[in-house]
Amino acid sequence: MSSSRVHHFKLVLLGDTAVGKSCLVVRFVRDEFFEFQEPTIGAAFLTQTVQLDESTVKFEIWDTAGQERYRSLAPMYYRGAAAAIIVYDITNPDSFTGAKSWVKELQRRGDPNVVIALAGNKADLESRRKVEFEEAQSYAEENGILHLETSAKNANNVKALFVELAKKLPKNAPQPEREAFPLAAPQNDNRNCC
Amino acid sequence: MAKIRDAWVYKQVRERVREFTEYKQSSIFVGTWNVNAKGKEESLHEWICGDWHRHNLQPDIVAVGFQEIVDLNAVNVAVGNKTEQRTQYWSDQLLQTLNPSHNQQGQPQEPQYALVMQRSLVGLLVCLFVKVQHRQRCKAVASDSVGVGVMGMMGNKGGVSVRLQFYDSTICFVCCHLAAHRENIAGRNADYLNVYQKTSFEIGEDIVRETIRNGSMSQWALGSASVSIADHDVIFWLGDLNYRIDESMPTEKVLELAVSNRLDPLRPLDQLNIERREGRSFQGFEEGALNFVPTYKYQPGTDIYEQRPEKKLRAPAWCDRILWMAQSDPQHVQQLTYNRSETPNCSDHKPVYSTMRVTVKDVILERREAIYKELLSLLDRFENQSLPMVGLDTVELDFGPVRYDQSVTLPIQVTNTGNVCAQFRFVPKLDENYLCKSWMTVTPTYGMLIPGEAAAIINVTVTIDNKTAQLLNGGREVVDDILILRLENGRDYYITVKGTYARSCFGMSLDELVLYKDPIRTIPLDAIERAVHFPNESEISPSNALCIPKELWRIVDAIYEKGLQNHELFSAPGNPVEVSQIREALDTGSPFTSPSSAHSYVECFTKFLRSLSTPVIPSNLFPIVEINSENIQSMSRKFLEVLSPVHYNVLVYIMSFFREVLLYKESNGLTAAKVARICCTCCSPSPANVIMESSMVQRRAGMHLILLHLLETNSI
Repeated sequence: MSSSRVHHFKLVLLGDTAVGKSCLVVRFVRDEFFEFQEPTIGAAFLTQTVQLDESTVKFEIWDTAGQERYRSLAPMYYRGAAAAIIVYDITNPDSFTGAKSWVKELQRRGDPNVVIALAGNKADLESRRKVEFEEAQSYAEENGILHLETSAKNANNVKALFVELAKKLPKNAPQPEREAFPLAAPQNDNRNCC
Repeated sequence: MAKIRDAWVYKQVRERVREFTEYKQSSIFVGTWNVNAKGKEESLHEWICGDWHRHNLQPDIVAVGFQEIVDLNAVNVAVGNKTEQRTQYWSDQLLQTLNPSHNQQGQPQEPQYALVMQRSLVGLLVCLFVKVQHRQRCKAVASDSVGVGVMGMMGNKGGVSVRLQFYDSTICFVCCHLAAHRENIAGRNADYLNVYQKTSFEIGEDIVRETIRNGSMSQWALGSASVSIADHDVIFWLGDLNYRIDESMPTEKVLELAVSNRLDPLRPLDQLNIERREGRSFQGFEEGALNFVPTYKYQPGTDIYEQRPEKKLRAPAWCDRILWMAQSDPQHVQQLTYNRSETPNCSDHKPVYSTMRVTVKDVILERREAIYKELLSLLDRFENQSLPMVGLDTVELDFGPVRYDQSVTLPIQVTNTGNVCAQFRFVPKLDENYLCKSWMTVTPTYGMLIPGEAAAIINVTVTIDNKTAQLLNGGREVVDDILILRLENGRDYYITVKGTYARSCFGMSLDELVLYKDPIRTIPLDAIERAVHFPNESEISPSNALCIPKELWRIVDAIYEKGLQNHELFSAPGNPVEVSQIREALDTGSPFTSPSSAHSYVECFTKFLRSLSTPVIPSNLFPIVEINSENIQSMSRKFLEVLSPVHYNVLVYIMSFFREVLLYKESNGLTAAKVARICCTCCSPSPANVIMESSMVQRRAGMHLILLHLLETNSI
């Protein structure tokens, strides 16, 4: 426990429509799942803390709209993000193509140090699989990004996805958040323990 | 705000410290001796180890403080090498005492104690030893020294301190020598406070944070790299504090009572007891009862108080003291012994010692981390629950067909569906500085709703003015936009605004209008759709074009029918409803519905001409030379020559119409000059809100003369 500082990171979820971005976040933050999650019209915001062995990471999560007509608004959310989860649906090859274009866009226009994770969601639908694990894995390796297959429905790998991402984030970087005003200890605080 | 949040978490942890801490019993021996710069080879055994067998223990920690290990003369105060040498001497002496090479049975034995840290300052020295088996559990060991003597900073008086984390308790030992002289109580109090406040241990930000996480320190120390004396679970304060017996008792009386071991009258008059009772010094510290005779001032090498005639007669005093403060829990320190030792006796002070049972903390990391996790997820839950939320009755505003010169407003209802105040505002898209397209207005653009408050109505208005119509006609704009409604400290909502432009002949160009024989409403805006609409390209080629737009012809024809003799023709305004009905009939090709007035047709006529994306007479065709009676004929001809064919046709058509109008000037009250002015403003509208350059004003006046000329003569 050499460094137990709380690190704040902006995390953005990107990906085509109906791949399960909101479901992943809801599973991660509230441990819930809704079969009929409404499409996100806008950008939802939630926070969640992840405890690592050596530090604590607090994610400020922006869950973006996947519908094509909102695509041009995505830079508002990935700009300044330290981490990104790009989600595709393993039963939908188009969404994997979409994910690759998101990776490209992020590499070109996002923060140069952004840590990216590729998440193949709906892994519970094995019988309807259209995107092979190996294909996505080798793509991720080529691009030096994390890759996991997840299921928001049965919670498989969801926590792991965020934890792996948290581990990969640089902890020595200056804290992005600035204190609004300097904190002084109250005058009458006698610092008594217990 | 992360720091405040962290501080909250740490405070909760501190309150639950018992849930993740195991408490262990340990013993600590503390000794103090003012050696008066002596150093004869004399056993320290009785002082240091004499008490152990009485309690049948070997202390886990031994902390010993010395004062005056060197003479407090100017040289020693300024140069430290004598101090270094004496430090080594006393440190070795203690270690030898603690680690006899043979046990009581005469068998050789391994060292039992290890030196953890020592710190000196001129005459002051503090040495800290722990049992070898605990060495691994001593962390964050640090020391500091503070001089408060001559000039408030020299080391003839002051304090030396060491601190450590023993298991998970933070323990601090302060050895000090305070101001001398019986009357100087205030000086001692001040010296104490100085040492207390100025002593600081650099242990690094991470260790400070760990200490806070263990619940051993106030969360307010977060972010600091150093700790003060006050920041410890247990503090031991030892040394020659120099407090004497109150001067209200004569020296001889003190001496008499001390010698005869009658301590009851002396204790209440001890200056330290008085100062502590009055709250003027050593606040919060505890001390055991003084059940031993005063330790100062002795004739060195004897057990007799100094009374030799050549020396100043002094009242004996408890100069040498040991106090403690257990901040983790007052019960964590139990004093077993507080006494003086009769040997060594080479100094004018007798050594003092105390053995204590100290409860130390041992933090179970897994349990501590589990509590952190629990607190953080609790916090996450509350934070996510206290994010602002609103409900929108719609996120898509479809305005349907939107018409020229028309404003349509649709409302959005915003309801606070969350648990906190929702402050909302519309924000521009990334790198833009307007909230929405120019054809839209949003009111209000911000607001606030408390939970349960009635819905706020936001009105979104779409207006197709002439400029927008021109952009829409030119394919440079579509009725489609996304509004971003942002909640302060919360999420964003998108509201899609869309509509279809119901095409109008207004705001178009003459060149395009003449291409279409069908009503303009039926002609697709989109170029690709238009190509599909006209599979035969020649159908819309210029060679196949109309002479003038059919709309112009229809409206002029209607004015004729209404009669040109109408009083106030071209000066009375039309009826706005009728004007838009007439425009709709032009756009859809449907017949005019009577009974619109002539004035409404006239207004439609002038508005149509003024709306054209390129005026009938572009301003670059205004004459550049001054027009006079000599050149007007040639200039007029020249002007007509340079007009493009469609514009020429239109202008000729308008002129013919106006000449007809002037035939009825007796009844309609118009004059050629008036008509020329009307013609000029319709065929070449001056751009709104732009102040024309004077040369342009002049050229425009020239144009006016030319139009007047064309009206009055038959030169077209």
